[in-house]
Amino acid sequence: MSELSAAAAEALGIPEAIVVRSAAARATETGMTVDDVLQAWAGGEAASAGAAPPATEAPLPDSGDTPPDAPAEEEAEAPTPTAPPETETVTPLPAAMPATTVSGRPPVLVGKTDNPLAVLIGAVALFTAVLLVGLVGPALPTESPGARSGELPFTESAESGHQLFLSTGCAACHTQLVRPVVADVGLGAVTLNDSNQVLGTRRFGPDLSDVGTRLSGSQIEATVTGFAGHPGLRLSRADLDDLVAYLTESKTSVGTGEGDAGS
Amino acid sequence: MLPPSLFAPRNPLAATQTADIRAFLGAGADEDRVAAAHFLVGALFLVLAGGLQLLALFSLRFAGLSPLSFGRLESMANLTVMFGFLVVSLTGGIYYVLPRLTGARLWRKELALTGLLLTTGLVVLGLLSVVLGFGGGRQPLGLPWWLHPPMIAVLAIPFAVTMMTIRHREEKRSFVTLWFVIGGVTWLPLLYLIYLAGDLPFITALGVNYSDLFFSAGFVTLWVYTVGSGLFYYTVVKELDIPLASRQLASVGFWSLGFAAAWWGVAQMVFGPGPGWVSGVAASLGLAFPIGALANASNVSMTLQGNWEKLTKKPGLSSGVIGLFLGVAVATLASFASFPSIGSVAALTAYWEAIEYAALFGVGVLLTAGVTFEALPRVSGLEIRTLDRPRSFNRLTVIGVGGVMVSLLAAGLVSGYSWIAGSNSAAYVDAGEGWAAGAGAADVLLLFAFGFGIVAFLGQLAYAATVFGTIFNGRPVPQEVLVYGDDVEASPDE
Repeated sequence: MSELSAAAAEALGIPEAIVVRSAAARATETGMTVDDVLQAWAGGEAASAGAAPPATEAPLPDSGDTPPDAPAEEEAEAPTPTAPPETETVTPLPAAMPATTVSGRPPVLVGKTDNPLAVLIGAVALFTAVLLVGLVGPALPTESPGARSGELPFTESAESGHQLFLSTGCAACHTQLVRPVVADVGLGAVTLNDSNQVLGTRRFGPDLSDVGTRLSGSQIEATVTGFAGHPGLRLSRADLDDLVAYLTESKTSVGTGEGDAGS
Repeated sequence: MLPPSLFAPRNPLAATQTADIRAFLGAGADEDRVAAAHFLVGALFLVLAGGLQLLALFSLRFAGLSPLSFGRLESMANLTVMFGFLVVSLTGGIYYVLPRLTGARLWRKELALTGLLLTTGLVVLGLLSVVLGFGGGRQPLGLPWWLHPPMIAVLAIPFAVTMMTIRHREEKRSFVTLWFVIGGVTWLPLLYLIYLAGDLPFITALGVNYSDLFFSAGFVTLWVYTVGSGLFYYTVVKELDIPLASRQLASVGFWSLGFAAAWWGVAQMVFGPGPGWVSGVAASLGLAFPIGALANASNVSMTLQGNWEKLTKKPGLSSGVIGLFLGVAVATLASFASFPSIGSVAALTAYWEAIEYAALFGVGVLLTAGVTFEALPRVSGLEIRTLDRPRSFNRLTVIGVGGVMVSLLAAGLVSGYSWIAGSNSAAYVDAGEGWAAGAGAADVLLLFAFGFGIVAFLGQLAYAATVFGTIFNGRPVPQEVLVYGDDVEASPDE
């Protein structure tokens, strides 16, 4: 920042920082020194002499690091002199609310010419690529030679309870997902990728993969209705029976010693 | 000194007047009234979401005392903050910047308003369905399957309005904000399509999990971070009247966020029944998330060089800057936990709850405030009456959300380590379903989380008070607002 740049900024009516950057870019483009450019702008000479063609004269760059070898069209950074707007709309205003006028200034919120369609196509292509690798890939069935099926043979009542388990929001606190890690030792058989239980993603309450082995139907019913700190669910008798049936039939460790996380 | 014009002199949109947004409900809405309506509705939903989330935190610690289960409360809070607040408010921000960046009138502004009404209706319907027990139970929204198709249709409206407005643009050069806006409005309906696919009958339980996690993570990266950062680029440059430091760095931020979409979601299933390669790939590629967040934060920092002291007088800028840096912290924590070594402790615990809470109620809310506080005077012609409220919002949000995040992170790690130590399983042996004995170590941390949640909720009230106070009781001052001259025709399709 110098007196020269300050003078140029004052003459052009735009911030000094922008003038300095623009002057540097203009100097690179024209082969002049920065001081010469600023001198010209401060004296008002370059307003016409330094102005770029109409298609390129308006914008200031939104970046201060335009490479020297960038196309000239994108480098045209000379600030144009302050000029009155071509159109000044005056509309009737509420008396208590004063109108303002706007002085014409080079905008700072435009960038380079690029095609929004390219951004759109790129965005869709990227999304598709990430989707294929990140979602479809992991969800594809994998071969597990010798492993038992992860699907439990639920009765009709248990299937209804399965839906109730979902709609009540049980899966927000309870997993039915046993992993082959130390933390899951004793929770039941390791969950396979064809499991028909509700895997869940949070374990604020106990894992329920194998709850049918640990607790009886009456114990499950007591818990669901508000025993031992569990929120008491207000369910109809039929719904409660279905939910208890689902949990009672959630038994993964019976006869599956090989798959148990603890083995 | 009047604020500088947004447009070149040749652009007839540069003329200004002071408008009275209070007429937005009755009169034919113009662009800025559409944006203001979005901000108002968003602020209402934020208060509702904050209240629901507070109840959810309460039920996490005092499950037996809560009127609704944590599962329903969290789904309702998620639905409200994600679609009621973040989608609505950031869409308002998009409608605010679009005419100013393109020089074109907003395409079919009536459609934009209809989108707002439909979104509001669907969120309310979704809340009712969850609270009455008709929800589908899938995280994070818990909506019944029949609400998914209309939701996608509604999300397509911002996409259509945005792309058609850009199609009719007068300004052929693109400021970086346009990329982020295009990306956000394109990705959001696609993301929801993936979420909907999880309800198809042939999708396995594992596929459902991946779908849910992909959607949750994608919403944060592809909508909250992307659109929030993009709009904040506009805010910084516009408020301070200085050029952006680096277009290239913005490009890095944009594409990194796009690339990071899935990975930190998928990483939550580390050691799960999916193929083994997932955890390794997720850990490596998940690094794109903090890279994207950091690129945007550092770009804004470089732009602000020499102007940091102005943040104290510009509440919107303060909010956005805090949001960007909190975003870096959240992205880094998410990325760390994507590595199997940490993931084996953090997976399934409150650690991930902390990440999601901080991303939605911290980063999302702060970035939204970044554009909202800047836009309010320009869309209403009314100045924020007192800066105390937005400052309170910033302080309370940082303390509250930061406190909840740290408490939940710690609770998650305590739970994870206690499981490894054996209490997870031993509890069953000793006391049947005695989960409380095993999880007791984290209880005090969950209590802290609830306490900090109250502070965060006060911050959300301050946000709403700022928005409503400005629009209904703001001080009329000369402001640069958008009007159209007689020679600017409506877009050809109108």
